[in-house]
Amino acid sequence: MNRSLLWRGAIIVAVVVLAVFAAHPLAEKLKLGLDLRGGIHLVLQVEVEDAARSETAKDMDRLLQELQDAGVQANGSPTSSSSFEVNGIPTDRDGTIGEIVVQFLPGWDWSRRGETVVFEMAPANLNEIKNLAVVQALETIRNRIDEFGVAEPVIQRQGLEGTRIVVQLPGVDDPERVKKLIKNTAFLEFRLVEYPLGGGGVPTRAEIDAQHGGVLPDHLEVLTGTVRDRQGAAIGEQYYLVEKRPVITGRDLKSARPGLGEFNQPVVNFYLTHEGGKLFAEATAANVGRGLAIVLDGNVVSAPNIRTRIGDSGIIEGSFTRQEVEDLSTVLRSGALPAGITYLEERTVGPALGQDSIEAGLKAGLIGLALVVVTMLLVYKGTGINAVVALILDIVILFGALAYFKATLTLPGIAGIVLTIGMAVDANVLVFERIREELRHGRTVKSAIEAGFGKALSSVMDANITTLIAALFLFQFGTGPIRGFAVTLSIGIVASLFTAIFVSRWIFDLVLAGRKRVDRLSI
Amino acid sequence: MEFFRDTKIDFMKYRKYFVMLSLTLLAVGMVAVFFHGKLNLGIDFAGGTQLTLKFREQPEIDELRDVVAAAGIAEAQIQRFGEEGANEVIIKTPTVEGQEEGTRNLVVDALSARYQTTTTGNFDLNQRGSDALADLLLALDPDELRATDEQMAAEHYENVALMILEQRRDEGLLVSWDEITGIPEVSTEVATALEQNAYLGQFAVLGAENVGPQIGAELRRKGILAVLASLVGMLIYIWFRFELRFGVGALVALSHDVLIVLGLFTLMGFEFNLTTIAAFLTLVGYSVNDTVVVFDRVRENLRRSRRKPLVDTINQSLNQTLSRTVLTSGTTILVVGSLFLLGGDVLRGFAFILTVGVTYSSIYVASPFTLLWEQIFGREARLRRKEA
Repeated sequence: MNRSLLWRGAIIVAVVVLAVFAAHPLAEKLKLGLDLRGGIHLVLQVEVEDAARSETAKDMDRLLQELQDAGVQANGSPTSSSSFEVNGIPTDRDGTIGEIVVQFLPGWDWSRRGETVVFEMAPANLNEIKNLAVVQALETIRNRIDEFGVAEPVIQRQGLEGTRIVVQLPGVDDPERVKKLIKNTAFLEFRLVEYPLGGGGVPTRAEIDAQHGGVLPDHLEVLTGTVRDRQGAAIGEQYYLVEKRPVITGRDLKSARPGLGEFNQPVVNFYLTHEGGKLFAEATAANVGRGLAIVLDGNVVSAPNIRTRIGDSGIIEGSFTRQEVEDLSTVLRSGALPAGITYLEERTVGPALGQDSIEAGLKAGLIGLALVVVTMLLVYKGTGINAVVALILDIVILFGALAYFKATLTLPGIAGIVLTIGMAVDANVLVFERIREELRHGRTVKSAIEAGFGKALSSVMDANITTLIAALFLFQFGTGPIRGFAVTLSIGIVASLFTAIFVSRWIFDLVLAGRKRVDRLSI
Repeated sequence: MEFFRDTKIDFMKYRKYFVMLSLTLLAVGMVAVFFHGKLNLGIDFAGGTQLTLKFREQPEIDELRDVVAAAGIAEAQIQRFGEEGANEVIIKTPTVEGQEEGTRNLVVDALSARYQTTTTGNFDLNQRGSDALADLLLALDPDELRATDEQMAAEHYENVALMILEQRRDEGLLVSWDEITGIPEVSTEVATALEQNAYLGQFAVLGAENVGPQIGAELRRKGILAVLASLVGMLIYIWFRFELRFGVGALVALSHDVLIVLGLFTLMGFEFNLTTIAAFLTLVGYSVNDTVVVFDRVRENLRRSRRKPLVDTINQSLNQTLSRTVLTSGTTILVVGSLFLLGGDVLRGFAFILTVGVTYSSIYVASPFTLLWEQIFGREARLRRKEA
């Protein structure tokens, strides 16, 4: 056996061994996409305008406060998410404005238009705020998902400057819960109750209205709470008259944990920051006997009676289920979202659906493979075996490469593999047809093989490069599953170049090696 | 076995008929796409919600439509899905104003209200997740563990809940209580408690997808761009590898392929979605691939005999590559055909495009157009014009 034959053989064996090693055992090594294993894929939009708007409101308040301290009574109103105007500043106090802006509002540009002073957020500052909102939202969501406990979650910002976040969670059995958890603003407030003074609620609004003759004082408002049964189903509503100003809010929380109340019912234990604890202690000490409404996103979850001064920890009770208590503690602990979130895209696939897809794809692939093998053997007889070996190695290498590159196998990806099986033999066919032609022209077997491979090479390359170009555009365009298709198709094609040119040629050489004269080729 | 040995078919003589056939198909297809019934855009491009539901018994499609319409969704598309007897349906709804995040809850609630027949509690074992089930069991405490150890009780019921959901996993739907009582971790007490406080809903949600209007519009734009860019990419590649006249021929050929298949695809009423774009881009690749092999041969033959008219060279090359063309198309059709028949509903449209596209491929379109280009802009034409 000559050296070149040995060397080439060694390369082929090495490639195949590596592929088998990479892909074995297949069930473990192959990463299945969410469409096959089941899971939830979400694209969410961070409403960065919200973050800018709240920053604008905060800065405007600061400006008005500073103006007041400097003896200027002015009033302002926001004109967009990143601008506001102020009226009532005398023209001779422009110097004061300048000083305040330099000291407290460095990210703002201002100009006077007659009576009105217009404030615009500087573009760099605005971008920074929006960017921070996304970064912070990403962090918050990551915390929440981590606590929720999902294996291999993907939580990514889409693009470097994007305002979108992609969340992928495999194998979640309750997608609606996850969606709520991620989006939950969980704006928590503790507010003193005015009526009924001792806490609890009343079943009708009329009873509250009767207290003040239907006209509520400015500092009070009516909130509602849902009454639930043991399984968490809503069975009624209760009304509370509470103060508008909260004693403390979720921002004052240091931590929150699920726990059990005195009747073994699920509650949230919370711990306050030092500052929050001081505020809370003062307020509770001054209001013993009064009700304290625990308000979550504008709904009263409960309004217990303050029995004693409460320091820096306490419990939130309501008719919660354990699951709700867990989610609420998670959300409170993970911090507030800096801006609202909208779901732009959702794809939830249950495991049963994915399993069906895999089975159908596998069946189609195996039958397709069998048909192709039979065709090649019928058309090319002995040489057909060569093509079949090349095809099988192609598939082995394809799976090896998928496992090695940790590519995700999706349903379109399976289609890509099946398609590869049909198209991979093209390179063999081009070469074999050329060999046949050369034989017809009266060449000897060896030289026909030589010429066949040589002359077909340019066609084989051209044909495969065009398919690769298409796959490239597909990859550029594609979202998850489609990319999976582009990947399997590309790998399959590249592998088929190797098997149909390198391996197939080697098999010819191996079979013919050592024979002086070969008169017939089974083709 | 050799199918085509030394064939001498005069393809170019028949090119008029090929072109006529193609133009007719093209016209029919384009009428289908733009005037008749139009393209069936999936939610990927149109935006909206698509739910895959599995029922215990095959529901009447008309009845589902009524229930969904009563929930305020007028233009829902409802069709059967999966194998015979799988009792699965797909409900596709457009984006509803005020429900941009999807109509899942709207539809599921309406269907639950219609199909819930039992009144044992409000806990649907076919809809809820394992944590919710664990909570329910802990609250009911049928195994009476909470008095001894709260923590242990919680862990015990979590495990039981997981086992019950594991049972639901395979089929996606629990059909009878026997499935639950058959689980070793489920005690008789737990089974009884569940039968009294929960019920097996008539359907389960196997999959839910929602594409907001914004994403839909983006995907539309990106999809069109991807197809156009790949066409230009092919033109440039062939221009670079061969000559402009071949590039133009190939571009016309593959646009022809794509448009004809698009027409037939529309006529068949398949849904146009992301996978469809993948199929078309693959078809673009395949179509060019076919053309390129012929062109390669034409170029080779041109080098050998410069004197021969281009028509004859093309004819000769088409005949020489005929066997390969048929065989490769054949093996490809074998696999995409099995995908079409066995690959499941999701991939059917994809397989259709490739099956039809490969069958009616365009090598006999590329060459005539190359010839036409040559006649108008080529050297011979220029010479003739000079003489005239």
